[in-house]
Amino acid sequence: MGNFSLLMDGFAVALTTHHIMIMVMGVLLGLVVGVLPGLGAPNGVSLLLPLTFTMDPISAIILLTSMYWGALFGGSTTSILFNIPGEPSSVATTFDGYPMAKQGQAVRALTLAFGSAGFGALVGVLVITLLSSWVAQFALRFGSPEYFGVYFLAFASFIGMSGGSPFKTLVSMMLGFAVATVGIDTISGEGRLTFDYDALIGGISFLIAVIGLFGLGELLLTMEEGLKFEGVKAKLDLKVILRTIAEVPRYWVTIVRSALIGCWMGITPGGPTAASFMSYALGRRFSRRGKYFGKGEPEGIVAPETADHSAGSCALLPMLALGIPGSATAAVMMGGLMIWGLSPGPMLFTTRPDFVWGLIASMYMGNLIAVVLVLATVPMFAYILRAPFTVVGPIITIVCVIGAYTVANHVFDIWLALGFGLIGYVFKKLDYPLAPFVLAMVLGDKAEDAFRQAMLSSGGSGSIFFANPLVSTMMALGILLLCLPLISAAWNGSLFGKKDDIDQAHEGRSV
Amino acid sequence: MDISRNSMEIATALATAAVGAVVCYGASLNGISWGDGGPQPGYFPFYIGCLIIFGSAATIIQTVVQRASTAGVTFVDGERLRTVVMFFLPIVAFVAISAWLGLYIGMAIYTFYAMRFAAGFRTPAALLTAAIVVAVNFIIFEKLFVVPLLKGPVLEYFGIY
Repeated sequence: MGNFSLLMDGFAVALTTHHIMIMVMGVLLGLVVGVLPGLGAPNGVSLLLPLTFTMDPISAIILLTSMYWGALFGGSTTSILFNIPGEPSSVATTFDGYPMAKQGQAVRALTLAFGSAGFGALVGVLVITLLSSWVAQFALRFGSPEYFGVYFLAFASFIGMSGGSPFKTLVSMMLGFAVATVGIDTISGEGRLTFDYDALIGGISFLIAVIGLFGLGELLLTMEEGLKFEGVKAKLDLKVILRTIAEVPRYWVTIVRSALIGCWMGITPGGPTAASFMSYALGRRFSRRGKYFGKGEPEGIVAPETADHSAGSCALLPMLALGIPGSATAAVMMGGLMIWGLSPGPMLFTTRPDFVWGLIASMYMGNLIAVVLVLATVPMFAYILRAPFTVVGPIITIVCVIGAYTVANHVFDIWLALGFGLIGYVFKKLDYPLAPFVLAMVLGDKAEDAFRQAMLSSGGSGSIFFANPLVSTMMALGILLLCLPLISAAWNGSLFGKKDDIDQAHEGRSV
Repeated sequence: MDISRNSMEIATALATAAVGAVVCYGASLNGISWGDGGPQPGYFPFYIGCLIIFGSAATIIQTVVQRASTAGVTFVDGERLRTVVMFFLPIVAFVAISAWLGLYIGMAIYTFYAMRFAAGFRTPAALLTAAIVVAVNFIIFEKLFVVPLLKGPVLEYFGIY
């Protein structure tokens, strides 16, 4: 296992006081970035890039990746405490994290999230350590049909996952697709659904929808219900944290499954956001406590967090090994690499092993530091939560409004976010599930592009999706997952709205 | 003034159906047939719109069929509606003011309003909170991360862009 000795060398490179200080700084900065919806990981990375020109490449990339972890963890924090996903990949964490926090178990929710996230990231880094060259080869086999296969699989796992009316799920998901379609069509260059309205040419950003649906929508709901935020009853109790950490291994099945999903979605172009959704959906279907998801179920937090972070780690691998950035953050990092005179690609592993393995070693360390730091900031959030909602509510509103503006510096986006807020309020009250909407927005465009590119190269024939074993397997799995709920719904007679206990458990607050 | 759940369900479904119709119309502007280069740009949006209309119609039918079981359920009653509206309208005002005078001034006015009238602070405390909110945001966004927020004529007059 030559890789292992290289990793040890990497640790030697990474474990200097200087580097550890950089990791701490990076994580703290990342936390700020992650917590505020107005700032995303790409903002933070772009900010730090000029600073890094004076540093050596190893320190620089350590700083950037530490910031990346900090942002991921910070995003989960606000998802759980305020139902505002600071990062797109933490949307799925709101589904069970926020309900659990509202029941007064915020510390438990946070610890579950960070524990499973840390574990997921570790698995991702392990995959990178052990499988880097194999993964690089594998990623090269992905063309348009395979891309579509990945997205199709992600969607198929989510259909039929929500309780309640399948028609509402359909409407919600289709609306998500429709919103994703607005803007310029990448294949033909035509504008779609813009009605010659300039503001829509850039499309509707997923971030705007998320800030509106989840942030503002939830604020409206909370206002209406007149809830006082239960928040954290006791001070940050170390015992609670330790007890929760001991609780995590109980969910090992979910953890393993989610980590695998995350690795898969990280290496393939699925991405951390899709990974978290898919993992949540499959967790709901296959876990024994699946029907309680959405009400503050521990596995509902563990599943998306593990997947999200393992995908986040694995997504860096195509960037390093192939020069294919899987996300905006990875793209900026890649830019940084090139400025420092390093070109990502298979040669990087052979010409600069100290850099690559130093980076990978720092990912282990960075995760550990991030988990510790983030748990340390929990008391600060607990303090904030104790303020009355009439104070916290407007502050969160301001944060959301700023967040909506900074996406593209358009005032129109803020109005859109308000609109989404109203939609979120009405939809949640009427039990229209929001998760399919969000998933459709995230993946819809990419899935359609992949489909049409595949069609272009096959001359309009659908057989390209079954042309090789990789794609055929994904398509077959997807079709199977699609049919599963239909079969069981027809079996239960619940296809047309006859309620059974699973549906009734979801009536209170559906996802 | 109560809004019943059934009427809200139907109203929402009608609204989503209308959106579906708009989507179908918009798609038809792009062409909806399937050529040998694959589907035209409007192909998928058109069928998405159709599915939206279908789903909305099914929801309406479902609501009508089941209306007896949800007959007495309220969507929102007058009192709660008032609470929500009283929270939402200031936000609309905030955005409108920000569009004109910039986010910092909008933020300041909104915070002052919310603290003074909704949270019940006394005027000096509300003013102080507004000042802190503006200062903190200014430092984080303008200075630390160099992410310029919307500024209106007032700040620009003072030379802050």
